[in-house]
Amino acid sequence: MQRPPAEVRWADELARLRSSDRAPRPPGWALSLDAARRFVVGDPKAKVERKFVGDTSLIDRALVTLATNRGLLLIGEPGTAKSLLSELLAAAVSGDSTLTIQGGAATTEDQIRYGWNYALLIADGPSERSIVPAPVLRGMAEGKVVRFEEITRCPLEVQDSLLSLLSDRVMAIPELPGAGGMVFAVEGFNIIATANTRDRGINEMSAALKRRFNFETVFPIPDLETELALVESEATQLLQRSGVQVAPRRDVLEVLVTTFRELRTGVTDTGDPIDQMSSVMSTAEAVSVAHAVGLRGWFLRGEAGSPGDIVECLAGTAAKDDADDLARLRRYIEQQVPRKKGRHWKAMHDARHALPG
Amino acid sequence: MPASFVGVRHHSPACARLVRRVIAELQPAHVLVEGPADMNERMDEVLLGHELPVAVFTSYRDQFRSHASWTPLCEHSPEWVALLDGRRAGAAVRFIDLPAWHPAFEDRANRYADTERRYSRAVDRLCRAFAVDNVDTLWDHLFEIDPGDELAERLATYFDLVRGEAGSEEAEEGEANADAEREAYMAEWVRAAVADAGHGHVVVVTGGFHRPALVAALTGGGGGQHPPTPSGWPDVPVFPAGAVGGSYLVPFSFRRLDAFVGYQSGMPSPHYYQRLWENGTDEAGAAIVESVVERLRRRRQQVSTADLVAARTMALGLARLRGHAAPGRVDVLDGLVSALVTDSLDRPLPWTGRGRLAPGTEPVVVEMVAALSGDVVGRLHPDTPHPPLVDDIEVELERYRIPVSGRFEADLTELTGLGASRVLHRLRVLAIPGVLRTSGPDVGGDPVLSEAWELEDSELRLPSVIEAGSYGATLAEAAAAALGDRFAHVAGDAGGLAALLFDAALCGLDELSDQAVTEIALLVGSISDLGGLGALLSTALGLWRHDRLLGAAGSSAMAGVIDAATIRALWLIEAIRGGPAPADGPRLQAIVAVRDAVIHADSVLSVDRSSVLGVFVRSAAVDRPPDLRGAAIGLVWALDEDSAGDVAAIERSVRSAARPAVLGDFLAGLFALAREQVLSTGGIIGLLDDVIANFAENDFLIALPALRLAFSWFPPREREVIANTLLERRGLVGSGRSLLRLTADPELLARARAVEARVGDLLSLEALVVGGLGEED
Repeated sequence: MQRPPAEVRWADELARLRSSDRAPRPPGWALSLDAARRFVVGDPKAKVERKFVGDTSLIDRALVTLATNRGLLLIGEPGTAKSLLSELLAAAVSGDSTLTIQGGAATTEDQIRYGWNYALLIADGPSERSIVPAPVLRGMAEGKVVRFEEITRCPLEVQDSLLSLLSDRVMAIPELPGAGGMVFAVEGFNIIATANTRDRGINEMSAALKRRFNFETVFPIPDLETELALVESEATQLLQRSGVQVAPRRDVLEVLVTTFRELRTGVTDTGDPIDQMSSVMSTAEAVSVAHAVGLRGWFLRGEAGSPGDIVECLAGTAAKDDADDLARLRRYIEQQVPRKKGRHWKAMHDARHALPG
Repeated sequence: MPASFVGVRHHSPACARLVRRVIAELQPAHVLVEGPADMNERMDEVLLGHELPVAVFTSYRDQFRSHASWTPLCEHSPEWVALLDGRRAGAAVRFIDLPAWHPAFEDRANRYADTERRYSRAVDRLCRAFAVDNVDTLWDHLFEIDPGDELAERLATYFDLVRGEAGSEEAEEGEANADAEREAYMAEWVRAAVADAGHGHVVVVTGGFHRPALVAALTGGGGGQHPPTPSGWPDVPVFPAGAVGGSYLVPFSFRRLDAFVGYQSGMPSPHYYQRLWENGTDEAGAAIVESVVERLRRRRQQVSTADLVAARTMALGLARLRGHAAPGRVDVLDGLVSALVTDSLDRPLPWTGRGRLAPGTEPVVVEMVAALSGDVVGRLHPDTPHPPLVDDIEVELERYRIPVSGRFEADLTELTGLGASRVLHRLRVLAIPGVLRTSGPDVGGDPVLSEAWELEDSELRLPSVIEAGSYGATLAEAAAAALGDRFAHVAGDAGGLAALLFDAALCGLDELSDQAVTEIALLVGSISDLGGLGALLSTALGLWRHDRLLGAAGSSAMAGVIDAATIRALWLIEAIRGGPAPADGPRLQAIVAVRDAVIHADSVLSVDRSSVLGVFVRSAAVDRPPDLRGAAIGLVWALDEDSAGDVAAIERSVRSAARPAVLGDFLAGLFALAREQVLSTGGIIGLLDDVIANFAENDFLIALPALRLAFSWFPPREREVIANTLLERRGLVGSGRSLLRLTADPELLARARAVEARVGDLLSLEALVVGGLGEED
């Protein structure tokens, strides 16, 4: 399997937590709140790995929300590990993270509630045999958490099909006669949606639906040290796989990560406000730039990447979907970089002419 | 009988309760409290029955350093409870720490800051182990929510752990030495008290971080480093001769208690902990919800019952998950934020981190933090001796013969007049009632050499002077501190900042602290209105270059402002993009200010000339508005070292801007920045004459208003020079001055030309004129 789901990848951790779990479990849950939290934030004593870097209180609020009758909406910049978090939460709460709807412009109600096997439908008429349950119907019937990725990319009407499901916790299937026509949610059912603040669609979520969700904003990694460590380890792995024989230099990476952080937050480390980039300056993007920097350094000059390479590679990242970003980047390198101390910053400033245009 | 040590966290209600219990149980003979020992002889004054919070304010100034520090006390401070209950139990209560002016406190403005914050590694590990975000939440979790019976033991374990792990490699050496010095001094007091008490109990209330050191010092045996004094008690360090300052009581407020940040901070949210102290965890939680909802509704934010139910459910759920008997501070806040915020947040929740609120924090969250902070203001008992500021003001008024009421005039050109003016301005800055200036110098106004004041005595005067006493011991110090406070409130408002700087100049700038200057530089960095920034820059530049009157010329504070404002202006200018648009006057003024700063204040700028030129070379690109392009070309020309410049290139860019809709705006920029260069080279005027003469009638009318505006950058005398140049070029004889004088309203003339042109068009359209006007022959 190229990428096993969370409940398979960490099956032994989940089993360990379950066997030692004495705290009360909410009805329908595979783990207690406390064990679920430890699954996500890690517990060295029980040999549980830390899987999510961020505020613990966010996990607390997310788990408690899932135990109430409101859905959980994880919202944030791209590349803040929202999807990973929703997968971890679903695996911890239900032991199953596969009930997933991928939102998009083409998502229809069939993919959320249920569809029909048309051959059987024509042969037998509507029956429980001919119905094809979609994730929400299955989640309700089995009492599991359903993940709805990128919910705001769906058309508004499709989003609103969740309204009655979330408030009344019942799905009507008018085609089916008798008791089968009403599917009541079993305890343990809830929805984790994720949304991207860069998608303009977020504004289009109806107020009625917003009320049925608790919003949790997931922020980029708050401190430089943690992010730098993450970028370093990921980039080193990638570079090894690409046949580069020198490890990236930590001081060069620090320049890179600091640049990303400042352009992402719109504040420099001295507190001066600068223009935020409209391109995504996520940690994942920093890793890929670090990778490219390492490749340039090694294959062009046979050494580790230099701050000059950062400038060259940033241009590609920055100008990806907005030409103004190139101007913002130039402004940053022309005006903020020379005010920083250290020879790598100076090298970066000297390489400013490498920016196109 | 050995001493009982109670290690506390300052302002912690749980610790206050513990202190109360210990004193009630032991009925000690001595209660020793971490606090300024120089206040011991004035303990009666401290316990007069003030409305809390109050603070012991200490100021110190000698030729090497000046320092201000507070020792804040509120009702839920363990130190306060120790003083109060100790006195009530008949014990002798004493402060045992070094006075706040002692060099050991050099870098501290708040005596009761959390010391363990400096030793963060252990605290970070504890936070991870308990799965909480920060030390405040950890503290709530461990101690406040459910203190239990074994609180003393848990506190001791916690502080031993933090202190034990705090190897000297973590703290800076200076800080560790200061801690050691204070602890040695406190230990001397404890030894003396134990010797004095005989069989009585001695209760020692200090910061928990100091407790392990004190316990070790006393059980380690041996005498102190100093020989015992005749009285048996340690000497209180004597206030150095030649220095000014002292300690005295001032009213304090919850807002200021909450406002210490970083290393200087203690427990946050004083209002919440006050409620916790009075009513317990449950009621304190309910009180926050009530006060948040009340605040939000006052701001017309909708808070429905369903939301409150959801908030309560969340809070209870979180409390259970986190193992709390009742929802604690963060449980309630988390519940509220889950229920009330229905959008993404721009900034992380303030209670997950530390420090001041970041700008851009969700308004609902801001209200929550404000509700927890509370707006209680303390008041001193009427019998409290006045702070020295009261006397200092009397002396200053006397010195300059300023009457208590009536009219007063100050001649700013005289030394005494200037001194009097400064005294009055400082009073004004401190908001002392009855001090009103009726005329005098103003921001950006013309130089005025005298000031008139309207003074009035009122019964509000003394109370407000006493309140202002918390800012400093002398009038100058207090005014500087008050100005520094105001800087925090003008964020991003260039006009407000300019006014504030001017106030600082009026009060005598030397008093402005370095910290305030750094803060101003930061504030300038957040201004986004280029016009306002330009006004600020030219005000600062003017004061820095010319102000002999108020004495701001050459001051380093102004230099800092000039540098910060220039850098910010460059940053803003670089971002401007746009197509044809009317020339933006304030923007051009700002660029002029940048030019002047580079020419006249080069020595204080931290950007070099080539970087400045780089910004403007790029700003001449085609995607910028025409006035900016003109101004950029003009600035580069004006700053060019070899004054000739590349006139040919400049003429080329003027020619490329010679479109009717653009030309005037472009020239406005060029003339604003390089007026002298345009006049001295002359080529540009000739070029313009050619270009404009070739405009069709209609085009000329389109270009006309903007052209007029552009030429208004020249003063009349220079316009006359231009007119003469034009006459000469065309080989005409006449007076340039008469050309400038219009016989009718220019708008009327323009309209007349438009009507004429239209008539001509109509005539040729209807074939009434062969070939149109001007082609008859």
